[in-house]
Amino acid sequence: MTVAEVRARTAESRSQHEVVDTGGIGRSSSLKELEMVHNQAAVDGEAKFRLGSMSLYYGERKILEDITMDIPERKITAIIGPSGCGKSSFLRCLNRMNDLVEGCRVEGEVLLDGEDVYRRECDVTALRQKVGMVFQKPNPFPKTVYENVAFGPRILGIKERAQLDEIVESSLKKAALWEEVRDKLKEPALALSGGQQQRLCIARVLAVEPEVILLDEPCSALDPIATQRIEDLLSELREKYTIVIVTHNMQQAARISDYTAFFLIGCQGDPGRLVEFGETGTIFTAPADERTERYITGRFG
Amino acid sequence: MATREKVGVSTEVRPKLREETPSPKERGKRRSGQFLADRAATVVIWAFALLALALVALVLGVILWNGLSTALTPSFVFGKPQAMREGGGIWPMVVSSFYLAALTLLLVIPLGVGAAIYMSEFAGEGRVARLVRFGADSLSAVPSVVFGIFGMVVFVIYLGLGYSLLAGALTLTLLNLPTVMRSAEEAVKSVPKSYREAALAMGCTRWETVKKVVLPVAMPGITTGAILSAGRIVGESAAVIYTVGLFVRKVPWSPFQPAAPMAANIWHMYTEGALVPDWFRVASGEAAFLLIVVLVLNLLARLAASVVRRKTGYRT
Repeated sequence: MTVAEVRARTAESRSQHEVVDTGGIGRSSSLKELEMVHNQAAVDGEAKFRLGSMSLYYGERKILEDITMDIPERKITAIIGPSGCGKSSFLRCLNRMNDLVEGCRVEGEVLLDGEDVYRRECDVTALRQKVGMVFQKPNPFPKTVYENVAFGPRILGIKERAQLDEIVESSLKKAALWEEVRDKLKEPALALSGGQQQRLCIARVLAVEPEVILLDEPCSALDPIATQRIEDLLSELREKYTIVIVTHNMQQAARISDYTAFFLIGCQGDPGRLVEFGETGTIFTAPADERTERYITGRFG
Repeated sequence: MATREKVGVSTEVRPKLREETPSPKERGKRRSGQFLADRAATVVIWAFALLALALVALVLGVILWNGLSTALTPSFVFGKPQAMREGGGIWPMVVSSFYLAALTLLLVIPLGVGAAIYMSEFAGEGRVARLVRFGADSLSAVPSVVFGIFGMVVFVIYLGLGYSLLAGALTLTLLNLPTVMRSAEEAVKSVPKSYREAALAMGCTRWETVKKVVLPVAMPGITTGAILSAGRIVGESAAVIYTVGLFVRKVPWSPFQPAAPMAANIWHMYTEGALVPDWFRVASGEAAFLLIVVLVLNLLARLAASVVRRKTGYRT
């Protein structure tokens, strides 16, 4: 498929978006080859991200193919699928962290609030402040708890102590960590427990007031209690932030997410595709695609 | 069921072992042979380690004893040097050494760390980086006297700096650049990728990531490398003999003045010491003091690293 074709198709899909915008989101049946099925694909409210036939390449290898979906605003969208189906790569397309991979190329459209994040004049640093990310392994900086949270604001040029104090406190409160660390602000962040470190990483992201938070299997290195805390936290954060979470844990997806996307690769070396996307309840109770059903019932993957 | 299965497995394995070592007697023999060899190897390795330790202790002991017993007193270290007369001190040489080391570090650290950051953060594994690395490795194999002669030809004569601290510092910069660069590169490379990702995902530019995250985390490693090379600079003689000077009466204050770092002065005392009647005493005292300075620098390097480590809770 040439670039021109992709452009034509994305233009087509965009015009359909416009038509559909008034009444929830219907999905373009004209995008043939599109394997995904939408269960009454109505996404309530606005779409934060709007992906149109997005494909991702690392060099010659196609990692993701033809992903078209809307990520609704102020909702939790879970990305599930077996290992190696490109979930993390997908997540990293949304804040252009894939730019760090040599030979990485994205085709199609990734619109954030209607603007293509891959347009030439896009300010990647501003994008990443708007679209924060939490990683699989807690990765606080080897600085104090305070400095970790103040890191982002400092980058943005906030120098006043009082203002920083305020941001640190409110961010830690939002991340449900304040009570545990209020007396440890000057201690090394690496002395905290794994779960606390992960919430600190969330606080660090919240400190720059993002609109979207991407989480890449944030609980996979945590014990069940720490996981529970993070899940509770995410449920609270959903009111203010658009959250996209990659998870291996289907119960987790079912518990916390509003929408679920199921990714799959055909066989080894094939690009990952979006098989099904819809409301979490529907995906887990009445999936439209047989493969989704087989996956969520644990018959493969 | 399960236990019977286990028993089954073990009886299956045991005959195999017997096959390998036919009779119990022979097995015993082999075992005692192995035991003896093991014992002997342990003893030999221990002996080598002790020998190395003893040699180091001997060298340190002799130098320190010679110096401490005859010369090393505050009035010697802070005293004025004498010619044709006994009882001189070494203060100008001490200042020369530290001055030279400071000047060299001032030049070599920005250069070395800058190159290291470029190599590990920006250059990737490209041709330029490989060339620089190869060049650095080759340079570090060149004997320091060659650097001394190069420094004399280029800085002292061609650039007209004369015998001076600056000429010496430039020469020592070249001499130490490879080690400072490589140790800084290792330190920068050992910073986990996850920190860089976290910083970039926060909206940092690459330079901000380096400045705010990579460099601070790599700092213990860089500091250790810098202090260790300070020790090498203070101890370097061949390269400074041709570029800085051998003997001065007054404390140098300008980088364009000639000076006499301790190591060069010791060499001078031993080879042309006739001018100073108690040259052996002066040289011994100076050697002992120099040794102590280098030891303290090495200890400082370890201390600096462990302090930073404790502060950040970060371990490499």
